Amino acid sequence: MKARHLVWLRRTMQTLFLCFFLFLLIESRLPQDIYVDYSVAFSSQQDLRLDQPVAFFFQLDPLLGISCLLSGYHLIKGFLWGLAIVVLTVALGRIFCGFICPFGTIHHTVGWCKPALKGNRMVRANQKSPGQKIKYFNLIVLIVAAIVGLNLTGLMDPIAFLFRSIALAILPGLGVGLRAMFDTLAASDIKLVNLFSYGAEILLSPIFGYSFQVYQTAWFIGILFLVILFLNRIRPRFWCRFLCPLGALLGIFSRFSILRLVKHPEKCTECNLCVKYCQGSASPRPDQHWETAECHMCFNCFNVCPEDALGFRFSWTPKLTKKPDMGKRAILGGLFAGFSIPFLGRLDGQIDKVSDPRLIRPPGSLAENDFLELCQRCGQCMKVCPTNAINPTLAEAGMAGFWTPRLIMTQGYCEYTCTLCGSVCPTGAIQEITGKEKIEQPIKIGSAFIDRGRCLPWSGNAPCIVCQEVCPTSPKAIYLKKDVVSRPSGEQLDVQLPYVDLKRCVGCGICENKCPVRGLPAIRTIAAGESRSLKNQILL
Amino acid sequence: MNFNKPITRRESIRKLVKLSGSLAFAGAATWPIQKPSVAKAASENKKFMIEGIRQNEEYSIKSLTRTVFEAAGGIHRFVSNGDVVVIKPNLSWARRPELAATTNPQVLEAVIELCQEAGAKRVRIADNTIHDARQCFALSGAGMVAKNTGADLIYPRSSLMRKMGLKGNRLDIWPVYKPLIEADVLINLPVAKHHSLSGLTLGMKNWIGGVGGSRWSLHQDINQSIVDLANFFQPTVTLIDAIRIMTRNGPSGGSTSYVSFKNTLILSDDPVAGDAKAALMFNREPTKVAFIRMAQRQGLGTYDFAKLDQQKVVL
Repeated sequence: MKARHLVWLRRTMQTLFLCFFLFLLIESRLPQDIYVDYSVAFSSQQDLRLDQPVAFFFQLDPLLGISCLLSGYHLIKGFLWGLAIVVLTVALGRIFCGFICPFGTIHHTVGWCKPALKGNRMVRANQKSPGQKIKYFNLIVLIVAAIVGLNLTGLMDPIAFLFRSIALAILPGLGVGLRAMFDTLAASDIKLVNLFSYGAEILLSPIFGYSFQVYQTAWFIGILFLVILFLNRIRPRFWCRFLCPLGALLGIFSRFSILRLVKHPEKCTECNLCVKYCQGSASPRPDQHWETAECHMCFNCFNVCPEDALGFRFSWTPKLTKKPDMGKRAILGGLFAGFSIPFLGRLDGQIDKVSDPRLIRPPGSLAENDFLELCQRCGQCMKVCPTNAINPTLAEAGMAGFWTPRLIMTQGYCEYTCTLCGSVCPTGAIQEITGKEKIEQPIKIGSAFIDRGRCLPWSGNAPCIVCQEVCPTSPKAIYLKKDVVSRPSGEQLDVQLPYVDLKRCVGCGICENKCPVRGLPAIRTIAAGESRSLKNQILL
Repeated sequence: MNFNKPITRRESIRKLVKLSGSLAFAGAATWPIQKPSVAKAASENKKFMIEGIRQNEEYSIKSLTRTVFEAAGGIHRFVSNGDVVVIKPNLSWARRPELAATTNPQVLEAVIELCQEAGAKRVRIADNTIHDARQCFALSGAGMVAKNTGADLIYPRSSLMRKMGLKGNRLDIWPVYKPLIEADVLINLPVAKHHSLSGLTLGMKNWIGGVGGSRWSLHQDINQSIVDLANFFQPTVTLIDAIRIMTRNGPSGGSTSYVSFKNTLILSDDPVAGDAKAALMFNREPTKVAFIRMAQRQGLGTYDFAKLDQQKVVL
């Protein structure tokens, strides 16, 4: 195959995989055209599920599979895809980085649109540098921490990083802007404008979702993403070269690669074009030793070499290529940091001792310790939640649980029959449950309690039964008692006072969500009573 | 226009301004032209109320719906050729039809088909739901109905809410769900069920699902709110679905043990009369239901059945 064709094949594959990634990301939501045959629904309970395999890229990611295996002793669904990538890497090197990884493609595109440096400065900058060891340090930290029992992989894993950034920050950012625009246009008195804006809204709603979602701490996720993109101005594919732990892992496996860069130093005129266009500073020049572990398999050097001094060939001789240059410091430092972080994460006592009342996990979540062994903080559950209740944590789960999911009931609530979050979770940190299980067991995520000082009937301000009305359990967990209270003016007021039956309450939080007392609602949900924990209980 | 000539920035801005100006003018010019409402003219006649009961299970719910409309003089009495018909069912909850928390999909389907046969240009289903609309529409069967019949299922969005003066006793400026007020024919299609505050959820209460905003505060004066909203919306006709009624634990229910089969449909162009008739099915005197009493006092209609053109059809 000619080099030019190879490069075009790479570009095509990169585009296809990036588009597929974005397609699956956009599809990670309840569509508007779901039809449940109501004549079937009479006899059986149907659970709403997504049509697309939205967790596919997470299954493709071997780092994610390995870390879940090491920390939670759990083989994730579709781990064979990850295994296939490992096998592919053993055969062809870091082909995943060059051809498949959507995050890599984005960096590649940014670097291609606006190269970091020009001419000779780029050649000098593209020499191998000690900074490239950082990614091995990252990898070792994540793997060791996972073995000790805290899975932080998702914070740095490129697939989780990209999904979180686009799903929680970039798309909602655009969505919020669009919504403001549509609302303004819809308020206009000109019929034509209304019609156009409504048409555009309907057209765009499959992409941004029917409800424009927002997320807590998303500003931080967004800034981090933009910073990482900006780093491409310093070095091409900065993330892949210096930081990516998945790249490091695949680099280690690429030692056995049979697809190798073959150099012909006698043809080389030292024009340095190969170095200039190298994406991973893998020393492609014929007089240097090729760094297999650093090579992204982009085939740029092969393509630009005017003298045919470089070529990729299959070599069947069982010879190992050059060892990945990790450096002792990265290994020792990684071991040390990876070992310490899980213990540091427990120092705030969030896992064993105290549990934050605001930490309401999605229905079907594992017990906290097991949860942190599997959760990748990828944002899949947050993206899919139809009421926008699931948000990334900031401090509620402690340092160890940064960006793990929690429900904010003033923003959404847990729909009684909905079990979507568990069905899309790539690792099983949120177990897949059926609506029947959720209702009949029941799976509780917390408990509601009434703040009598705020409550309208309890404080004598007005009659109200909204929390009881919206309570989805049967019989209702919120019940009413007729009573007479005195208004602020002193006159008598006939009201029905709400009470919570903790035995029946599942903590779905719709009462908090719909409570007319805005700001801090008069009925609120706390995590205590959640069925995933033996300890965090109220009733005997 | 010469497209070969390069256009300067200033020129392009000028052209854009001109273009948008003329568009705005065209929009403004066509804006005030609206169809005169037909519903008002018919209201001078004596109002009617039809109660349809299905005793023989061999007849389908669809044929019961058709019979009820035929008894009222046919669907043509309400829907003319080229009308935009908006149906307001009660789809508030993501519950299956058997739990009777939402309007029966078979009745909904029958009404849509009738409207289409009468030559309606568009039939729209519009409701501002309480649960997530996607799940409400899917589980209640309305999504399937819309797909089968080709009716438009309108999803509630913030851009579809328009602030309007309700001119009620209690409610003043409130965001109203736009599709409902842009209809030529508005059909109210509620389900009859229990409600823990107002006593019953029937036709007039269905309009709470026609407004947005902080509608949870309506419960602080629920009866007056219901009457104000019923006074504002004034549908062409109300068809109360009492095929299944929820007798306890309303309005959301959640168990079939609260549901009883009545196999009844009540069609009326008097919103108060329809609600009063349905209230009797729950063994409640219309005068004891506060919002029905208040609505009669404000002249929205009557629960004195003798003043109406009454009919009862049994299948």
